[in-house]
Amino acid sequence: MNNSDKIKNENKGYWKSLKGYDNDPEVLKLKQNEFVDGVTDEFKSSQLPDISRRKFLALLSASAALTATACTDYRDKGEIVPYNKRPENVSPGTANFYASTCNGCSQACGIIVKTREGRPIKIDGNSDHPINKGKICTKGQASILNLYDPERLNNPTYNKRKIDWSDADANIIDALNKSRSNGKQIAIITGTVTSPTTKKVLDTFTAKYNNAKIYSYSLLNDSVRRDAWFESYGSYEYPSVKWNEANIILALDSDFLGSEGNYIENMNLFTQKREAVSKLDFNRLYAAEGRMSVTGSLADYRLRISPAQQLDFVMALTNELLKKGSAISIDSQVQAKIQKFSLEKFEKSVDKEKLTHLVEDLNANRGKSIVYAGDTLSKDVHIAVNLLNEILGNTHIYDYTRTFKTNLPLSTKMELEQLIDLMNNGKVDVVIHFNSNPVFTLAENYGYTSALKKVENVIALTESENETSSVSNFTLPINNQLENWGDAYVRGGVYSLQQPVISPIFNTRQKESVLLTWINGNPNSYTHDVYHNFLMDNFNSEIYIRKKPFSDQKSFWLSALHDGVVMLDDNIQPSKGINVSALLNAEESASNGFVLHLTSNYYLSDGKFANNGWLQELPHPITKVAWDNYAAVSPATAKEIGVEINDLVDVNVNGRNLTLPALVQPGMSDETIHVELGYGRTVCGDVGKDVGFNSIKFISKDSSISPYIYSNASIKKSSGTHKLVTTQEHHSLDDTFVKDFHRIRNIIKESTVNKYKNDSNFLHHDKHEVFSITNEHEYNGMKWAMAIDLNKCTNCSVCITSCNVENNIPVVGKPQVERGREMQWMRIDRYYSGTPEEPIVSNQPILCQHCDNAPCENVCPVNATNHSPDGLNQMVYNRCVGTRYCSNNCPYKVRRYNFFDYRDEFADAYYENDLTALVNNPEVTVRSRGVMEKCTFCVQRIMEARSNAIRDGKELKGSDVVTACQQACPTNAIVFGNANDPESDVSKFRDHNLAYHVLEELNVKPNVTYIAKLRNTHSEEIA
Amino acid sequence: MSVVDYSQELSVVEGRPPLRSLDDLIAKPLEVKPNKKFYIALSITLSMLGLFVIGLALTFWFGIGMWGNNNPVGWAFDIVNFVFWVGIGHAGTLISAILFLFRQKWRTGIARFAEGMTIFAVMTALLFPLIHVGRPWLDGWLLPYPNQHGVWTNFTSPLLWDVFAVSTYFTVSLIFWYVGLIPDFGSLRERATGKFKKIIYSTFSLGWRFSNRHWHHYEMVYLILAGFATPLVLSVHTIVSFDFAVSIIPGWHTTIFPPYFVAGAVFSGFAMVQNVLIAVRKIFNYKHIITVDTLEKMNKIMLVTGSMVGYAYAMEFFIAWYSGVQAETFTFFNRALGPYAWAYWIMVTCNVISPQLFWVKKIRRSVPVMFVIAIFVNVGMWFERFVIVVTSLSRDFLPSSWAYYTPTYVDFMILIGSFGFFFTWILLFTKALPVVSMAEVKAVVDGAQPSHKDH
Repeated sequence: MNNSDKIKNENKGYWKSLKGYDNDPEVLKLKQNEFVDGVTDEFKSSQLPDISRRKFLALLSASAALTATACTDYRDKGEIVPYNKRPENVSPGTANFYASTCNGCSQACGIIVKTREGRPIKIDGNSDHPINKGKICTKGQASILNLYDPERLNNPTYNKRKIDWSDADANIIDALNKSRSNGKQIAIITGTVTSPTTKKVLDTFTAKYNNAKIYSYSLLNDSVRRDAWFESYGSYEYPSVKWNEANIILALDSDFLGSEGNYIENMNLFTQKREAVSKLDFNRLYAAEGRMSVTGSLADYRLRISPAQQLDFVMALTNELLKKGSAISIDSQVQAKIQKFSLEKFEKSVDKEKLTHLVEDLNANRGKSIVYAGDTLSKDVHIAVNLLNEILGNTHIYDYTRTFKTNLPLSTKMELEQLIDLMNNGKVDVVIHFNSNPVFTLAENYGYTSALKKVENVIALTESENETSSVSNFTLPINNQLENWGDAYVRGGVYSLQQPVISPIFNTRQKESVLLTWINGNPNSYTHDVYHNFLMDNFNSEIYIRKKPFSDQKSFWLSALHDGVVMLDDNIQPSKGINVSALLNAEESASNGFVLHLTSNYYLSDGKFANNGWLQELPHPITKVAWDNYAAVSPATAKEIGVEINDLVDVNVNGRNLTLPALVQPGMSDETIHVELGYGRTVCGDVGKDVGFNSIKFISKDSSISPYIYSNASIKKSSGTHKLVTTQEHHSLDDTFVKDFHRIRNIIKESTVNKYKNDSNFLHHDKHEVFSITNEHEYNGMKWAMAIDLNKCTNCSVCITSCNVENNIPVVGKPQVERGREMQWMRIDRYYSGTPEEPIVSNQPILCQHCDNAPCENVCPVNATNHSPDGLNQMVYNRCVGTRYCSNNCPYKVRRYNFFDYRDEFADAYYENDLTALVNNPEVTVRSRGVMEKCTFCVQRIMEARSNAIRDGKELKGSDVVTACQQACPTNAIVFGNANDPESDVSKFRDHNLAYHVLEELNVKPNVTYIAKLRNTHSEEIA
Repeated sequence: MSVVDYSQELSVVEGRPPLRSLDDLIAKPLEVKPNKKFYIALSITLSMLGLFVIGLALTFWFGIGMWGNNNPVGWAFDIVNFVFWVGIGHAGTLISAILFLFRQKWRTGIARFAEGMTIFAVMTALLFPLIHVGRPWLDGWLLPYPNQHGVWTNFTSPLLWDVFAVSTYFTVSLIFWYVGLIPDFGSLRERATGKFKKIIYSTFSLGWRFSNRHWHHYEMVYLILAGFATPLVLSVHTIVSFDFAVSIIPGWHTTIFPPYFVAGAVFSGFAMVQNVLIAVRKIFNYKHIITVDTLEKMNKIMLVTGSMVGYAYAMEFFIAWYSGVQAETFTFFNRALGPYAWAYWIMVTCNVISPQLFWVKKIRRSVPVMFVIAIFVNVGMWFERFVIVVTSLSRDFLPSSWAYYTPTYVDFMILIGSFGFFFTWILLFTKALPVVSMAEVKAVVDGAQPSHKDH
């Protein structure tokens, strides 16, 4: 077909003119040549500029693009996902709070989780919870970081290879069925079970797989106390103590204010009788201990007694008090036994006056005192203490409404030995580690690790890789506690619920759901709400029925979730009739060599929190060591074996030995070695790996006194050193050059209750009026101020942790702490006075004092730090160039400088990732390097309160603002508010007779007031 | 050593050299190609400068954390070096301005070089405030300029006063130095053979034609500038001392600081000038221009200022005790007996004891001995600043915050590097400009001025 035909054909349908219709050749020709002659006459390509249109456009767009990119400070700011479908009850910029229960330890405190735009950012105590009353410990505070730990496991693995959950479940169900059919045992090893519903899941599991057996083991536990209570009274449920009703407290190696029991509850009750501001109401605390515990450091009288001699001491004390009468009648054999013990033996190491005071006080306060033994002491001591409390008639100090319950008793030594025998004989073919780490925590001479090799299927349900999961076949990642459903019932009458506040970030499952899937037997039966439903069913069948509320099941469930806690009636009758026959075998301890005392550490639990940088970096309450544990010995012992701090020592107990650094701890009993447990994790995230020394190695399953106390230990100097880093220099107590500076410089002002009674104005005798030659700036309206009652501060460091979380404080790591560059905005200073043998410990929380005449402000060349009209010393990060002059000129040294970009610097940018960034409080700037920072009095909270007040049309009140440290303080020692409001608490504190400012004579006019600590001694002198 | 008759005014330039020969001698280094020794020296200083660059690169990349500074000790080598170099920069203007006003003719031989050193020392010093900040790219915020932030600098901060004091001092010193150079530029222009050189010297000589009128104006300007520079000599280090004196830290908060710092600055400045001049006079054969008599006079100034510094040390102790302020008293005991006692005793040995040897005339006139003593003085003065800055900060009010400061390798790189920076400039100076003022020296040669003596 030629061209004209084509056109002809195409033109069939449409015609523009008759000529066209007739296919006139002229028209056809015209159509063929679109550009007719003459049209292109003027168009000469040679006359055109060289640049083609195409090129012109290319250049134009390129230059536009270049200009656009060059002029913007373009960084990839990540993906922004709008709320296309806004979740219910979430408004951007407003926090949501959810009640839940903490799984950090076996105390199961009630918590409130703050979430912003769906991500949890802070954990505080649930104020509706009757035990922890709105407070939570350091571990609970810092555990938010565990949710965002970059090394959390995010997929199930089989022999270190990634597999699907369904495959893992199918394989495991096969193994379980096989095990059931061939009659071998399935062992589930769990920690302390706090949840009755979890217990029910475990029971259901053993019902389905009847060859399964549950073992429960916990490194740090109250089993000695429980067993002793059982032997004395025939019940495993022991009561709590009404610390607030005791006038005299004797703590026998018990750190009830620092690490034992529910110490948050204990602190709160204890400090209710440490009241100096509103009224003068003081208990008297005696602490008899070998180590230096937080409780010991707070004692009015501290008696140095080796842990191995506690039985002798309590028996001798009983003898002494029995002579003066008894509230119960005592078996004559026991009486004869008791009479063999005498306090005389202790007069060598303890001031006789102290012993006399102790006996007299206990005698005079019968029924109004309490003797309390530590978790680590032997059963005999506990029984003797139970007896002594009976003799003194102190039993109504026991609180039977809030007993310590057990959902599942811990396995005995015999049970564990049997398990390991079975494992060794090949009679166990499935071991399920139910969020437990026995390879690390179990005493080495059980031989658990080698027995595990003989087990075919080893399963570890764990959040992150640990010593046990590393030797397991199946590693199944489980949810963080904030992704979990659950409940807890650990205290009489207090049932609490746990709800997830974020959906699982990774491909993890709740450990109970995993078991439920296995119980079901179908690997595909898993749904995300399987345990949720189970829990609700259980709640309805157990709690709803028991409580019989007027509301329907659903409403009751929702209101229980809202409150986080349901109060039940637990009718527990006080135990009567003490049985102390065990004491008949009590023998006076022979003094044989060194005593090794192992205790819980303060922040890491049994090593579970080792990978939490905030906790690792928190200084030890007494020694201020961070990132390590050590062997603490008394100054005399250190001299005897020739060691100083950082020297490595070999500690040996019956062939179990460990080389670790020594630390000279004033106030310890001689020939005592104190080591904290929970350090030295070997399989762990980068933060906690190989931090400290694994002192669990010392624990033997065959312990004679208790698993935590070993006599016959030996210690000798080894070669080399290991640098312990502290946030405070160790100034030798006997160095007269710097001795007692905190008293000389009026940093710590302390006295006694008696002195205060006689002369309430004693603090102000040598005060002289300071006047200013210029007109001082006036604060009209609000003036923010804080007061800290040192009578109530127990050194627990929860305030520091809360501040870390609230204010996005980075972790700097051990080498930086060594350089003195820790970033915590708050610190608790610890000072010793007295002698190295009998030191007096003073604590002082220090934060930015927000001085009226702030010396930091006038030296900043760029005005980056200045004063707000409401009295805040402000820090403008954006303006700061980082001259550090402000920090130099700060007499309190509370300013913190970003020497590095610490998120990048710490452990190869461990916390610099998209996941961990989610932990940051969006209301607080994340500071860059080269910038100074410091406490802001939680200005973000002040601003929030102010905008709320404006919104509601109310006047802002000082009490509207609660700072993070104040909110967290378990003893309410911190008060914050408006100093210009005479009715506010803070004004009352400021005007109190016991109020003082640190370094008052500098006239910087700080706005943090301290209430001087009073010690309740018999004289006007501090003992 | 010749016997000196102190009853007669000494000749500034020994041996009545012909004026022409002075020109030749002084201009010679500028007219011959640098020799091997020069290149060796330059390679050493450039290597040191390289350390400086690496140290700074590490600091800028990673942060101030590369240094040893810690929480109580916010300032350490950075500010120690700053104060040290500002101090070094004091001798030049003192010699050229104050001694000029006092008609001390012996200054002519050394004035030019001392002024050059001042410029370079102040340049070195100025680097430290710029690099010691955490975010050096924001250094501009230290200057008060109208800006979109609407934020002004804080005029109550001594650090800001520093910015003004040191930059003013630098500007005035530079102008003073340049004005003094103008007649020499004229001479050099006349001598220049190459086209390039001629253009440069012509430009800088500003059309100097040695006319009477020019000399007249020149003398007036020089006199005015000398008068202008004189108070600056005293003010700069006074203001630098305010960095410390205005603070409230014991050991810093001291009213004696301004005079004490100025005396110390002159002390260290003279020591440094003397050190370098001893090398210069030997290398360039200027022994008759920079005479032993001149050096002896410098040693006397060192003796005086060294004694003043020693007095200040003693007075600090007395006041610390007399004030009865515990923190203050402790700070000074801590300096002498605490963890930094080693630094304190190095300082005392070098600054107080070693210059006392200058009471002995033999020592005063012995070039090798005075060279060693001047080095001691420099070391001692560096340690003086270290003692003031570091020991005061490391143990201040709250014992809980105390910490020991240990420098890192980067601190040393920057310290060594700052010497590299300084000496690189010095070396280039010796090959680019006349290190002795040709015009002035010719004027003080015996017989150069009309006199009635010989009639």
